[in-house]
Amino acid sequence: MDGKIYYITKEKLHELKKEYEELLEIERKKSLGETAPKIFESEDLNPEFVSFQEDIGFLRSRIDELKGIVEHHELIKSPTKDKQGIVSLGAKVKIDVDGQKDEFVIVGTLEANPALGKISNESPVGKALLGHKIGDEVSVSSPIKTTYKIKNIKYEIG
Amino acid sequence: MDKILTFFTEIGKLKELKRRGWVLREIKNPESVADHIFRATLMAWVLGRKKRGLNIEKVMKMALIHDICEVYAGDTTPYDSILPKSKKEIRKLLRTWPRFSDSKKKRLSEKKFKKEKTALEKLTRGLPKELAREMMDLWIDYENGKTKEGRFFKQMDRLENFLQATEYWKKYKNLSQKSWWDQARESFDDPVLLEFMEKIDKQFHKN
Repeated sequence: MDGKIYYITKEKLHELKKEYEELLEIERKKSLGETAPKIFESEDLNPEFVSFQEDIGFLRSRIDELKGIVEHHELIKSPTKDKQGIVSLGAKVKIDVDGQKDEFVIVGTLEANPALGKISNESPVGKALLGHKIGDEVSVSSPIKTTYKIKNIKYEIG
Repeated sequence: MDKILTFFTEIGKLKELKRRGWVLREIKNPESVADHIFRATLMAWVLGRKKRGLNIEKVMKMALIHDICEVYAGDTTPYDSILPKSKKEIRKLLRTWPRFSDSKKKRLSEKKFKKEKTALEKLTRGLPKELAREMMDLWIDYENGKTKEGRFFKQMDRLENFLQATEYWKKYKNLSQKSWWDQARESFDDPVLLEFMEKIDKQFHKN
Protein backbone atom coordinates (compact mmCIF):
# COMPACT_ATOMS: atom_id res chain seq x y z
CA MET A 1 0.00 0.00 0.00
CA ASP A 2 3.13 2.22 0.00
CA GLY A 3 2.15 3.78 3.35
CA LYS A 4 -0.68 5.63 1.64
CA ILE A 5 -3.47 6.98 3.84
CA TYR A 6 -6.94 6.97 2.27
CA TYR A 7 -9.03 9.97 3.26
CA ILE A 8 -12.62 8.83 3.15
CA THR A 9 -16.11 9.76 4.30
CA LYS A 10 -17.94 7.69 6.89
CA GLU A 11 -20.53 6.63 4.29
CA LYS A 12 -17.92 5.43 1.82
CA LEU A 13 -16.02 3.55 4.52
CA HIS A 14 -19.22 1.80 5.56
CA GLU A 15 -19.92 0.83 1.94
CA LEU A 16 -16.40 -0.54 1.39
CA LYS A 17 -16.38 -2.47 4.69
CA LYS A 18 -19.64 -4.11 3.68
CA GLU A 19 -18.23 -5.07 0.29
CA TYR A 20 -15.06 -6.40 1.97
CA GLU A 21 -17.05 -8.67 4.27
CA GLU A 22 -19.24 -9.90 1.42
CA LEU A 23 -16.28 -10.69 -0.81
CA LEU A 24 -14.53 -12.56 2.00
CA GLU A 25 -17.66 -14.66 2.35
CA ILE A 26 -17.71 -15.39 -1.39
CA GLU A 27 -14.04 -16.38 -1.28
CA ARG A 28 -14.61 -18.63 1.73
CA LYS A 29 -17.52 -20.41 0.05
CA LYS A 30 -15.56 -20.80 -3.18
CA SER A 31 -12.65 -22.38 -1.32
CA LEU A 32 -15.10 -24.89 0.19
CA GLY A 33 -16.53 -25.59 -3.25
CA GLU A 34 -19.89 -24.15 -2.28
CA THR A 35 -21.91 -21.91 -4.55
CA ALA A 36 -21.05 -18.32 -3.87
CA PRO A 37 -23.97 -16.18 -2.72
CA LYS A 38 -25.41 -14.17 -5.55
CA ILE A 39 -25.12 -10.88 -3.74
CA PHE A 40 -24.24 -8.96 -6.88
CA GLU A 41 -26.81 -10.62 -9.11
CA SER A 42 -28.17 -7.39 -10.50
CA GLU A 43 -26.39 -4.11 -11.05
CA ASP A 44 -29.76 -2.40 -10.77
CA LEU A 45 -29.78 -3.33 -7.10
CA ASN A 46 -26.19 -2.27 -6.61
CA PRO A 47 -25.26 0.53 -9.02
CA GLU A 48 -21.56 0.03 -8.39
CA PHE A 49 -21.88 -3.60 -9.26
CA VAL A 50 -18.71 -5.48 -10.03
CA SER A 51 -18.87 -9.24 -10.33
CA PHE A 52 -15.91 -11.15 -9.03
CA GLN A 53 -17.60 -14.49 -9.00
CA GLU A 54 -16.06 -15.83 -12.20
CA ASP A 55 -12.46 -14.84 -11.58
CA ILE A 56 -10.75 -15.79 -8.35
CA GLY A 57 -7.72 -13.60 -9.20
CA PHE A 58 -9.87 -10.48 -9.51
CA LEU A 59 -11.70 -11.43 -6.32
CA ARG A 60 -8.46 -11.72 -4.29
CA SER A 61 -7.07 -8.53 -5.79
CA ARG A 62 -10.20 -6.58 -4.80
CA ILE A 63 -10.17 -8.10 -1.29
CA ASP A 64 -6.53 -7.01 -0.88
CA GLU A 65 -7.36 -3.53 -2.14
CA LEU A 66 -10.28 -3.19 0.28
CA LYS A 67 -8.20 -4.55 3.17
CA GLY A 68 -5.56 -1.90 2.45
CA ILE A 69 -8.19 0.85 2.48
CA VAL A 70 -9.91 -0.37 5.65
CA GLU A 71 -6.57 -0.66 7.46
CA HIS A 72 -5.07 2.62 6.22
CA HIS A 73 -7.87 5.13 6.21
CA GLU A 74 -8.54 8.42 7.92
CA LEU A 75 -12.11 9.66 8.19
CA ILE A 76 -12.92 13.05 6.71
CA LYS A 77 -14.45 15.14 9.48
CA SER A 78 -15.88 18.61 9.70
CA PRO A 79 -13.22 21.00 11.01
CA THR A 80 -13.78 22.94 14.23
CA LYS A 81 -15.88 26.10 13.89
CA ASP A 82 -12.88 28.42 13.83
CA LYS A 83 -11.43 26.52 10.86
CA GLN A 84 -14.59 26.25 8.77
CA GLY A 85 -13.62 29.29 6.74
CA ILE A 86 -10.62 27.46 5.35
CA VAL A 87 -10.65 24.88 2.56
CA SER A 88 -9.79 21.42 3.78
CA LEU A 89 -10.95 17.91 2.94
CA GLY A 90 -14.73 17.68 2.80
CA ALA A 91 -15.21 21.37 1.97
CA LYS A 92 -17.85 22.37 -0.56
CA VAL A 93 -16.29 25.32 -2.34
CA LYS A 94 -18.10 27.80 -4.56
CA ILE A 95 -15.65 29.24 -7.01
CA ASP A 96 -15.33 31.58 -9.91
CA VAL A 97 -13.07 30.08 -12.58
CA ASP A 98 -11.90 32.86 -14.89
CA GLY A 99 -15.40 34.35 -14.68
CA GLN A 100 -17.38 31.08 -14.80
CA LYS A 101 -19.21 29.80 -11.72
CA ASP A 102 -18.54 26.30 -10.46
CA GLU A 103 -18.71 24.27 -7.28
CA PHE A 104 -16.29 21.60 -6.02
CA VAL A 105 -16.27 19.24 -3.10
CA ILE A 106 -12.73 18.36 -2.03
CA VAL A 107 -12.57 14.61 -1.48
CA GLY A 108 -9.97 11.85 -1.16
CA THR A 109 -8.88 9.92 -4.25
CA LEU A 110 -11.36 7.06 -3.68
CA GLU A 111 -14.37 9.36 -3.95
CA ALA A 112 -13.11 11.69 -6.67
CA ASN A 113 -15.48 12.14 -9.60
CA PRO A 114 -14.69 15.36 -11.46
CA ALA A 115 -17.76 14.99 -13.70
CA LEU A 116 -19.84 15.43 -10.52
CA GLY A 117 -17.60 18.18 -9.10
CA LYS A 118 -15.82 15.88 -6.63
CA ILE A 119 -12.19 16.93 -6.89
CA SER A 120 -9.36 14.88 -5.39
CA ASN A 121 -7.21 16.54 -2.76
CA GLU A 122 -4.24 15.06 -4.65
CA SER A 123 -5.11 16.73 -7.98
CA PRO A 124 -3.22 19.94 -8.85
CA VAL A 125 -6.36 22.10 -8.38
CA GLY A 126 -7.52 20.28 -5.22
CA LYS A 127 -4.07 20.63 -3.73
CA ALA A 128 -3.84 24.31 -4.67
CA LEU A 129 -7.20 25.17 -3.04
CA LEU A 130 -6.41 23.52 0.30
CA GLY A 131 -5.66 25.98 3.09
CA HIS A 132 -7.24 28.97 1.35
CA LYS A 133 -10.17 31.10 2.53
CA ILE A 134 -13.10 33.04 1.04
CA GLY A 135 -11.88 35.84 -1.21
CA ASP A 136 -8.55 34.18 -2.00
CA GLU A 137 -7.51 33.86 -5.62
CA VAL A 138 -5.62 30.70 -6.40
CA SER A 139 -3.80 30.34 -9.70
CA VAL A 140 -2.46 27.26 -11.38
CA SER A 141 -0.27 28.44 -14.16
CA SER A 142 1.99 25.98 -15.89
CA PRO A 143 1.79 26.33 -18.86
CA ILE A 144 -1.71 27.86 -19.14
CA LYS A 145 -2.90 30.10 -16.33
CA THR A 146 -6.29 29.60 -14.69
CA THR A 147 -7.46 31.53 -11.62
CA TYR A 148 -9.89 30.09 -9.09
CA LYS A 149 -11.52 32.71 -6.87
CA ILE A 150 -13.06 31.27 -3.70
CA LYS A 151 -16.58 32.67 -3.19
CA ASN A 152 -17.90 30.43 -0.42
CA ILE A 153 -16.89 27.47 1.74
CA LYS A 154 -19.17 25.14 3.64
CA TYR A 155 -19.04 21.72 5.24
CA GLU A 156 -21.89 19.23 4.96
CA ILE A 157 -20.21 16.18 6.41
CA GLY A 158 -22.53 13.80 8.14
CA MET B 1 -20.62 -17.92 -34.48
CA ASP B 2 -22.98 -15.65 -36.43
CA LYS B 3 -23.59 -13.47 -33.40
CA ILE B 4 -19.88 -13.19 -32.65
CA LEU B 5 -19.25 -12.13 -36.25
CA THR B 6 -21.97 -9.51 -35.87
CA PHE B 7 -20.19 -8.20 -32.75
CA PHE B 8 -16.94 -7.86 -34.74
CA THR B 9 -18.60 -6.08 -37.66
CA GLU B 10 -20.41 -3.73 -35.30
CA ILE B 11 -17.29 -2.74 -33.34
CA GLY B 12 -15.50 -2.37 -36.70
CA LYS B 13 -17.66 0.72 -37.22
CA LEU B 14 -15.57 2.46 -34.54
CA LYS B 15 -12.76 2.69 -37.10
CA GLU B 16 -14.92 5.16 -39.01
CA LEU B 17 -16.57 6.97 -36.11
CA LYS B 18 -14.78 10.29 -35.70
CA ARG B 19 -14.27 11.62 -32.18
CA ARG B 20 -16.88 14.29 -31.58
CA GLY B 21 -14.60 16.77 -29.81
CA TRP B 22 -12.39 17.07 -32.90
CA VAL B 23 -15.32 17.28 -35.28
CA LEU B 24 -16.68 20.21 -33.24
CA ARG B 25 -13.25 21.83 -33.40
CA GLU B 26 -13.17 21.36 -37.18
CA ILE B 27 -9.96 19.29 -37.10
CA LYS B 28 -9.14 17.94 -40.56
CA ASN B 29 -9.28 14.15 -40.79
CA PRO B 30 -9.62 13.65 -37.03
CA GLU B 31 -8.89 10.43 -35.18
CA SER B 32 -11.60 7.80 -34.84
CA VAL B 33 -12.89 6.21 -31.64
CA ALA B 34 -10.88 3.08 -32.56
CA ASP B 35 -7.71 5.20 -32.93
CA HIS B 36 -8.25 6.55 -29.41
CA ILE B 37 -8.89 3.07 -27.99
CA PHE B 38 -5.71 1.75 -29.64
CA ARG B 39 -3.36 4.30 -28.08
CA ALA B 40 -5.18 4.44 -24.72
CA THR B 41 -4.73 0.65 -24.41
CA LEU B 42 -1.00 0.84 -25.13
CA MET B 43 -0.55 3.80 -22.80
CA ALA B 44 -2.42 1.91 -20.06
CA TRP B 45 -0.13 -1.09 -20.53
CA VAL B 46 3.12 0.88 -20.60
CA LEU B 47 2.32 3.38 -17.83
CA GLY B 48 0.38 0.81 -15.80
CA ARG B 49 3.61 -1.14 -15.34
CA LYS B 50 4.86 1.72 -13.16
CA LYS B 51 1.98 1.12 -10.71
CA ARG B 52 2.69 -1.55 -8.15
CA GLY B 53 -0.14 -4.03 -7.67
CA LEU B 54 -2.13 -2.94 -10.71
CA ASN B 55 -3.67 -5.79 -12.71
CA ILE B 56 -2.48 -4.94 -16.23
CA GLU B 57 -4.62 -7.57 -17.93
CA LYS B 58 -7.70 -6.09 -16.34
CA VAL B 59 -6.67 -2.52 -17.22
CA MET B 60 -6.05 -3.47 -20.85
CA LYS B 61 -9.36 -5.28 -21.20
CA MET B 62 -11.02 -2.24 -19.66
CA ALA B 63 -9.23 0.01 -22.14
CA LEU B 64 -10.36 -2.12 -25.07
CA ILE B 65 -14.02 -2.03 -24.12
CA HIS B 66 -14.34 1.41 -22.51
CA ASP B 67 -15.77 3.18 -25.56
CA ILE B 68 -17.26 0.35 -27.61
CA CYS B 69 -20.77 1.35 -26.53
CA GLU B 70 -20.32 4.35 -28.84
CA VAL B 71 -21.21 2.11 -31.81
CA TYR B 72 -24.82 2.77 -30.78
CA ALA B 73 -24.60 5.57 -28.19
CA GLY B 74 -22.35 7.79 -30.32
CA ASP B 75 -19.48 9.88 -29.02
CA THR B 76 -20.58 12.79 -26.85
CA THR B 77 -18.83 15.74 -25.24
CA PRO B 78 -19.77 17.88 -22.23
CA TYR B 79 -20.45 20.72 -24.69
CA ASP B 80 -23.29 18.94 -26.50
CA SER B 81 -26.07 20.09 -24.16
CA ILE B 82 -25.14 23.77 -24.54
CA LEU B 83 -24.04 24.03 -28.16
CA PRO B 84 -24.97 27.34 -29.77
CA LYS B 85 -26.07 27.45 -33.41
CA SER B 86 -23.43 29.62 -35.02
CA LYS B 87 -19.94 28.30 -35.75
CA LYS B 88 -18.43 31.45 -34.30
CA GLU B 89 -20.22 30.93 -30.97
CA ILE B 90 -19.26 27.24 -30.93
CA ARG B 91 -15.59 28.16 -31.43
CA LYS B 92 -15.85 30.61 -28.53
CA LEU B 93 -17.53 28.05 -26.26
CA LEU B 94 -14.87 25.43 -26.98
CA ARG B 95 -12.08 27.68 -25.73
CA THR B 96 -12.95 26.96 -22.08
CA TRP B 97 -14.01 23.91 -20.09
CA PRO B 98 -17.82 23.99 -19.61
CA ARG B 99 -19.10 24.60 -16.08
CA PHE B 100 -22.46 23.35 -14.83
CA SER B 101 -24.53 23.50 -11.66
CA ASP B 102 -24.39 20.48 -9.35
CA SER B 103 -27.83 19.33 -10.43
CA LYS B 104 -26.98 19.60 -14.13
CA LYS B 105 -23.70 17.71 -13.61
CA LYS B 106 -25.68 14.92 -11.98
CA ARG B 107 -28.37 14.92 -14.65
CA LEU B 108 -25.89 14.84 -17.55
CA SER B 109 -23.84 12.12 -15.91
CA GLU B 110 -26.85 9.89 -15.24
CA LYS B 111 -28.26 10.39 -18.74
CA LYS B 112 -24.93 9.49 -20.37
CA PHE B 113 -24.47 6.44 -18.13
CA LYS B 114 -27.94 5.10 -18.91
CA LYS B 115 -27.63 5.64 -22.66
CA GLU B 116 -24.20 4.01 -22.85
CA LYS B 117 -25.14 1.07 -20.63
CA THR B 118 -28.14 0.30 -22.83
CA ALA B 119 -25.91 0.51 -25.91
CA LEU B 120 -23.32 -1.84 -24.40
CA GLU B 121 -26.03 -4.36 -23.48
CA LYS B 122 -27.30 -4.28 -27.07
CA LEU B 123 -23.80 -4.62 -28.51
CA THR B 124 -22.77 -7.59 -26.34
CA ARG B 125 -26.10 -9.41 -26.41
CA GLY B 126 -24.92 -12.10 -28.82
CA LEU B 127 -21.70 -12.89 -26.98
CA PRO B 128 -21.34 -15.78 -24.50
CA LYS B 129 -23.06 -14.71 -21.32
CA GLU B 130 -19.98 -14.68 -19.08
CA LEU B 131 -18.06 -12.60 -21.63
CA ALA B 132 -20.86 -10.06 -21.98
CA ARG B 133 -20.98 -9.91 -18.20
CA GLU B 134 -17.24 -9.39 -17.90
CA MET B 135 -17.38 -6.52 -20.40
CA MET B 136 -20.24 -4.88 -18.51
CA ASP B 137 -18.45 -5.27 -15.17
CA LEU B 138 -15.27 -3.74 -16.56
CA TRP B 139 -17.20 -0.86 -18.10
CA ILE B 140 -19.06 -0.10 -14.86
CA ASP B 141 -15.78 -0.27 -12.94
CA TYR B 142 -14.27 2.24 -15.39
CA GLU B 143 -17.31 4.52 -15.27
CA ASN B 144 -17.54 4.56 -11.48
CA GLY B 145 -13.83 4.29 -10.64
CA LYS B 146 -14.69 1.40 -8.40
CA THR B 147 -11.33 -0.38 -8.18
CA LYS B 148 -7.76 0.87 -8.50
CA GLU B 149 -7.75 -0.32 -12.12
CA GLY B 150 -10.97 1.62 -12.84
CA ARG B 151 -9.62 4.79 -11.23
CA PHE B 152 -6.29 4.48 -13.07
CA PHE B 153 -7.84 3.91 -16.47
CA LYS B 154 -10.44 6.65 -16.08
CA GLN B 155 -7.56 9.11 -15.85
CA MET B 156 -5.52 7.28 -18.49
CA ASP B 157 -8.41 7.70 -20.93
CA ARG B 158 -8.30 11.47 -20.35
CA LEU B 159 -4.51 11.52 -20.62
CA GLU B 160 -4.67 9.99 -24.11
CA ASN B 161 -7.15 12.68 -25.07
CA PHE B 162 -4.88 15.30 -23.51
CA LEU B 163 -1.91 14.04 -25.56
CA GLN B 164 -3.98 14.07 -28.75
CA ALA B 165 -5.14 17.63 -28.02
CA THR B 166 -1.52 18.70 -27.51
CA GLU B 167 -0.51 17.06 -30.78
CA TYR B 168 -3.32 18.79 -32.69
CA TRP B 169 -2.40 22.07 -31.00
CA LYS B 170 1.19 21.67 -32.20
CA LYS B 171 0.01 20.77 -35.70
CA TYR B 172 -2.76 23.32 -36.22
CA LYS B 173 -1.69 26.12 -33.83
CA ASN B 174 -5.19 27.65 -33.64
CA LEU B 175 -6.50 25.03 -31.18
CA SER B 176 -7.00 26.43 -27.67
CA GLN B 177 -5.43 24.22 -25.00
CA LYS B 178 -7.04 25.81 -21.98
CA SER B 179 -10.00 23.46 -21.67
CA TRP B 180 -7.71 20.39 -21.57
CA TRP B 181 -5.38 21.88 -19.03
CA ASP B 182 -8.28 22.89 -16.79
CA GLN B 183 -9.85 19.45 -17.08
CA ALA B 184 -6.53 17.66 -16.49
CA ARG B 185 -5.56 19.70 -13.45
CA GLU B 186 -8.97 19.09 -11.88
CA SER B 187 -9.13 15.38 -12.81
CA PHE B 188 -5.69 13.81 -12.57
CA ASP B 189 -4.39 12.75 -9.19
CA ASP B 190 -2.41 9.67 -10.08
CA PRO B 191 1.31 10.46 -9.51
CA VAL B 192 2.43 8.43 -12.55
CA LEU B 193 0.00 10.22 -14.84
CA LEU B 194 0.73 13.65 -13.35
CA GLU B 195 4.42 13.05 -14.00
CA PHE B 196 3.62 12.07 -17.57
CA MET B 197 1.51 15.20 -18.02
CA GLU B 198 4.60 17.22 -17.07
CA LYS B 199 6.61 15.30 -19.65
CA ILE B 200 4.06 16.19 -22.33
CA ASP B 201 4.27 19.82 -21.25
CA LYS B 202 8.08 19.78 -21.40
CA GLN B 203 8.18 18.03 -24.76
CA PHE B 204 5.62 20.18 -26.53
CA HIS B 205 5.93 23.59 -24.88
CA LYS B 206 9.50 24.00 -23.89
CA ASN B 207 11.31 22.47 -26.87
